[in-house]
Amino acid sequence: MSNNKSPKKLLLKITTPKGIFLEKKVDEVVIPGSAGYFGVMYGHTAFLTSITSGSLEIYSGEKKDTYIIHNGFSEVNFDEVRILTETIEKPEDIDKKRAIQAKERAKKRLKEKKSEINFRRAEFALKRAIARLEVAHE
Amino acid sequence: MPSLKEIKQRINSVTSTRQVTSAMKMVSAAKLQKTQQWILNARPYSDELDKILLSLASRTLRDEHPLLKKIDEEDVKSVAIIVVTADKGLCGAFNMNIIRKAEEVIRKNKGKKIELICVGKKGKKYFEKKGHTIREEYINFFNKLEFEHSRDIMNIVTTSFLKGKYDKTIIIFNEFKSAIQQNIVEKQLLPLSEFEESDEKFLASYLFEPEESKLLDELIKKHLDVQIWRVLLESSSAEQGARMIAMDAATDSAGEMIADLTLEYNHKRQDNITKEIIEVSSAAEAL
Repeated sequence: MSNNKSPKKLLLKITTPKGIFLEKKVDEVVIPGSAGYFGVMYGHTAFLTSITSGSLEIYSGEKKDTYIIHNGFSEVNFDEVRILTETIEKPEDIDKKRAIQAKERAKKRLKEKKSEINFRRAEFALKRAIARLEVAHE
Repeated sequence: MPSLKEIKQRINSVTSTRQVTSAMKMVSAAKLQKTQQWILNARPYSDELDKILLSLASRTLRDEHPLLKKIDEEDVKSVAIIVVTADKGLCGAFNMNIIRKAEEVIRKNKGKKIELICVGKKGKKYFEKKGHTIREEYINFFNKLEFEHSRDIMNIVTTSFLKGKYDKTIIIFNEFKSAIQQNIVEKQLLPLSEFEESDEKFLASYLFEPEESKLLDELIKKHLDVQIWRVLLESSSAEQGARMIAMDAATDSAGEMIADLTLEYNHKRQDNITKEIIEVSSAAEAL
């Protein structure tokens, strides 16, 4: 980015089935894409990707906000980023104990290898738990 | 003729019933407001999702994707029917209407293999008794509806569809029109038929990650997910609306009953008093 004193802002919009979670102008967003984390600033190429469990970092000015996001899509378009997700949480809402329990439970289920659906569900739960713990540790 | 005491007892019991029905009406009204808000809240999400899905689907050939592939009615050998009823009764003809519609659809698909996926206890009980094959049941969750429920249903439906277990999936539910009106809706979930090819090409210059076909796959699943979520919300709203009306009617007729019984009670009491006066005065005359 240029060293311009007031860099152009990016419109971030996060929508969940329970409503619009967040809509504001930010400087940069770091998104856990399915092929790895990627950062978006103003002027990014048009880009559509799926999102996996991980932490979503939002930078605006000196401030940095972190959220946990699980599964979804993001559509990047030059001056705006739209994120569609089913679940997004604030780190302070995470119950660490519960996340650890969920992680153990999911691991156990993965070993059982029952049906394909249960396997996928457990895999998803494990990913979710790991993402939660990562942020909660900080 | 019932005695004074018996009438009094009946008045008391009807009064407490009326209290219950009017409380249930209030509860339903509050719940209805909540689910209504949820329907509104889900709208931006599903709109955005549909927009992306539509333009991505229009870039892919329809027949290439198994979930989009059109199917001729003659080729349909097995059908999954999702029947969405309520968990509880006391809501007028709400459950019966759905069950009747489901029976009609089952008759229409005679000769094909039919399996039911029952959402809500009432439908499950009915079809179990009738001896239908119930593949999955989702009961007792309407009072704490979560998005995970629709995801579970979606997973079952798409996985069995992709495995070729069903050629078609239909969902039958009550759509919320207004508090006093519900529409019975029969909709085909899979293969996805409702959206037509569009000319919208706004994703033309996009980069994709992972590749388009995988993205499309996930998008379709998410789309179904939201569809089912909306169906659950619609049905839940319709149920609360129906219960509100049913309870309102029950409260009214309880009121009428109390008025009738009170009248009867007063008549009876007046009769007794008159009788006693006659007895006293005729006894006095005899002296």
